[in-house]
Amino acid sequence: MIHIQNLKKSFRTEEVETLALNNVNLKVEDGEFAAIMGPSGCGKSTLLNIIGMLDNPTEGSYKFAGHEVGGLKERQRTELRKGNLGFVFQSFNLIDELTVFENVELPLIYLKESKSSRREKVMKVLERMKIAHREKHFPHQLSGGQQQRVAIARAVVTNPKLILADEPTGNLDSKNGIEVMNLLTELNQEGTTIVMVTHSDRDSHYAHRVINLFDGQIVTESQNRAVGAMM
Amino acid sequence: MFKNYLIIAWRNVLKNKGLFSINLVGLALGIASCLIMMLFVVDELSYDSYNKKADQIVTVVFRAKVSGEEIKESSIMAPVGETLKKEFPEILDATRIRNYHTPKIIVDNQSFRKDKFAFVDANFFDVFTLPIIEGDDQNPLKEPNTAVITKAEAKKLFGASSAIGKSFRLDGKEQPFRVTGIIEEVPRNSHFHFDIFASMEGLEEAKSNSWFEGSFYTYLLLRKDTDYRNLETKFPHIIEKYMGANMQHVMGMPYEEFMKENQLGFKIFPLTDIHLRADNAVNDQLEQGGDIKYVYIFSAIALFMLLIACINFMNLSTATASKRAKEVGIRKVLGSNKNQLLYQFLSESFIATLFAMFLAAILVIISLPYYNELSGKELEVDYLGRPFVLISLFLLTLLVSLLAGSYPALFLSSFKPMTALKNKFLTGNQNNGVRSGLVVFQFVISAGLILATLVVNQQMQYIQDKDIGYERDQLLVIREAHLLGKDQEVFKNEMLKNPKVASISQSAFAPAGDSDDSQTMISNDGQFVRRMPVYNIDEHYISTMGMELVAGRNFSREFGADSTNVIINETAAKILGLGNEPLGKRITEGNNTDRTVIGVVKDFHFKSLHQPIDPLFMLYAPYGGLIIKAKSADISELIKDANALWNSFGTDEVFGYSLMDESYKQTYVVERKMGIVLNIFAMLTILVACLGLFGLVTYTSEQRFKEIGIRKVLGSSVFEIVAMLSRDFIKLVMISFFIAFPLGYYLMDKWLEGFAYRIEIRGWIFALTALATLLVAFGTIGWKSFRAATMNPVEALKEE
Repeated sequence: MIHIQNLKKSFRTEEVETLALNNVNLKVEDGEFAAIMGPSGCGKSTLLNIIGMLDNPTEGSYKFAGHEVGGLKERQRTELRKGNLGFVFQSFNLIDELTVFENVELPLIYLKESKSSRREKVMKVLERMKIAHREKHFPHQLSGGQQQRVAIARAVVTNPKLILADEPTGNLDSKNGIEVMNLLTELNQEGTTIVMVTHSDRDSHYAHRVINLFDGQIVTESQNRAVGAMM
Repeated sequence: MFKNYLIIAWRNVLKNKGLFSINLVGLALGIASCLIMMLFVVDELSYDSYNKKADQIVTVVFRAKVSGEEIKESSIMAPVGETLKKEFPEILDATRIRNYHTPKIIVDNQSFRKDKFAFVDANFFDVFTLPIIEGDDQNPLKEPNTAVITKAEAKKLFGASSAIGKSFRLDGKEQPFRVTGIIEEVPRNSHFHFDIFASMEGLEEAKSNSWFEGSFYTYLLLRKDTDYRNLETKFPHIIEKYMGANMQHVMGMPYEEFMKENQLGFKIFPLTDIHLRADNAVNDQLEQGGDIKYVYIFSAIALFMLLIACINFMNLSTATASKRAKEVGIRKVLGSNKNQLLYQFLSESFIATLFAMFLAAILVIISLPYYNELSGKELEVDYLGRPFVLISLFLLTLLVSLLAGSYPALFLSSFKPMTALKNKFLTGNQNNGVRSGLVVFQFVISAGLILATLVVNQQMQYIQDKDIGYERDQLLVIREAHLLGKDQEVFKNEMLKNPKVASISQSAFAPAGDSDDSQTMISNDGQFVRRMPVYNIDEHYISTMGMELVAGRNFSREFGADSTNVIINETAAKILGLGNEPLGKRITEGNNTDRTVIGVVKDFHFKSLHQPIDPLFMLYAPYGGLIIKAKSADISELIKDANALWNSFGTDEVFGYSLMDESYKQTYVVERKMGIVLNIFAMLTILVACLGLFGLVTYTSEQRFKEIGIRKVLGSSVFEIVAMLSRDFIKLVMISFFIAFPLGYYLMDKWLEGFAYRIEIRGWIFALTALATLLVAFGTIGWKSFRAATMNPVEALKEE
């Protein structure tokens, strides 16, 4: 699904050029659950943003499902993202002014789905995330765990091929964190590819493979044998 | 999708109630002010356009410069219209109005004296669109002594039954007038409003051949697409042909010689320009017109108000946009493209503008009666309901929402998704330049308007305080005292016995307000020198009016021959070249009447201060009206006494009077109203500008919430924080002065040039403007800054 070769990303300010990613080579297969780990500032989020097509690499190649996306324009990236990718953020990133239902409905609106189809899909995913009873609530009326479940519901409502999670448990207590990880694992078991950035050793154990990043380079890759050991 | 936009827009409104209200109220105020101004402008521009042939009708006026005197007359000689029609094939028809003012009208022994009466040519109703709704709709005025009257007049004179065929008499005329047609009221936006249009067929003076005198308002109906300017160029030939022939006889010199020093000419004004552009002498207009200058001024203010409101809207929307950054980021991540976001924010702006438009319409409906009262207009709210206006309003909404919404929309939709999610651009300064520019623009206009208001008020005060050469207070003018006939003398003598009366003069010549009007020709050795206004007065006039004789003596009954003497004003002495010793000099009036100068009266203003003082002749000829000087300022009791005395003569004439100081004020009513309107709109503009400033400072202090907290923890005082927050804004306001002041000076100096007697724009006016603007601006900023500066720093630091 993801094929990255010799990828570089640099940021330039007036005087300094910082190399955030340096010669990264990475393959993620369909159905895989990969965790990216590393200390702060090592380039994890930059890599995730590029994989999520929110940003373009400076150099190198990035193929998504066989398509080269490295040099696409924003409009083209937006089109490709729609329906194919789901995002889960550490800070949930729900729109405060929309209810739970409306937040989850949003990606379907951009896919121009009919109202009835939207209703059906949103309710189905909310039920699955066990948050349907809160459909009319606003984000600030929910606990952190509930908000992240809504965010996951929103990420999966379009049935994407790939879910990108940026420290999905970072703002949650351990109980809610475990719940979220279980949800992601479930989705993965149903066939969704997941790439997750995390600081947490515990969370990384849910992944099939852990990629360790340091100063913008992949330093180690390890396979997890006991997937779901924490379940 | 749109529903989703609506939902989020509405919830954002609820979340930012305060800022949104400021934004909306500002925009609504701006639009409402603009609408009222536009109603005024549209109304002013609509004059006489109700005529179906409005684009073909023109009026011919007379312009001359004779011995330095500028003559601008709109009522001209009787034969001009018909002659022009004969001479030029592009003229289809010519028609005339002879204003008869308000004569006494008698129906069945009952008399009326408030009805506006005109004689018009028989073809009048073919040229002007005033449909005959009852009676002869083909040619109602072809017979002498016929008349077309308005519906209301018909009801007044003849009651409920049909007026057609009924008659009324004109005081002093034998033949009764028979009503042959009824029309609706003359439309409000017409340059004339008569109740009675009588046939000119029987009017002797209408048949006059004189090219040197006459009082006929003359209109031409031109062939379609005739260029009136082209026609105008052919007029000098007409002057030569028809006036030249009699020049020797009337002016005492041949045409060629006369034209060496003087100018004579006819000029054309299109019908629809009469109200705003015809610069006719004030006392020679059918009705007081408007002034295109004020149409321009008000259009500019309307545009500025709208611009300021839009700028505010734009500024505040952009400022608050950063609060929507996260939403934009999420939408982008979830698949929204730039156009969709653009569409979203533009539709929000459209809805807000639509909302503001409704609010503005309500404001207009509520405030219009007050505005009408202040400005003396009769603007109607139902203008707003006309399809043309509704479409314009819709287009205006679209325009304003585009104008106000495009910048924030472009700004917001251009966020990069990850930057937006991280709120990184919050500290970005890239919009400060634009915002600062917009603030400066607003304050240029606000300060400019304050300056203009101060200058207008100063000039009005100057007019009020100026020594005008007579004392206008406590003067009661009964101009129509002659209506008492032989009882006038008794009335005067009885009034003189009244202890409230200081003195009485018998004259109908008043330097302000309605006055008799008379001119004379001064000649020298049989040659015309110049035309001069004449005042017919008695021996009490100069003292009653509080005028001053600078040389010689007053008229007196002791000198039997005073009827051949003259008192002149200082300007006349100067213009006639009488030197330092004018007394005893002889002046020839007309062709052969010699007058001896017995006195010189100090110059007094008998025209408005727009014009310089003309030379004046004062002759001993007591007749007409009475001018009464009261002993005390409370003149109401005296009026009651005079009224009671008037009625005691058993006359059916209505007692009418005017107060000289009121008439004087009335002379400047246009300027006064303009001043009031300017005052109001200057205040509104600054209010709207301040709302914008308030919004911006609210936003800035919110944005710098954390910074303020940290500064406070580190020991900054409240004053330092207020100063920090205010400094930038105050700087912008100061910058605006550098643009507003030169611009304001230039424009207001131009306005003042319209007055022959005027103030100079002095430094203190600028200082006061600056102070007022700064005070208001600081008041707005200071309060909000103080609130921000006095908050608990812990609140700010908790935010992290």
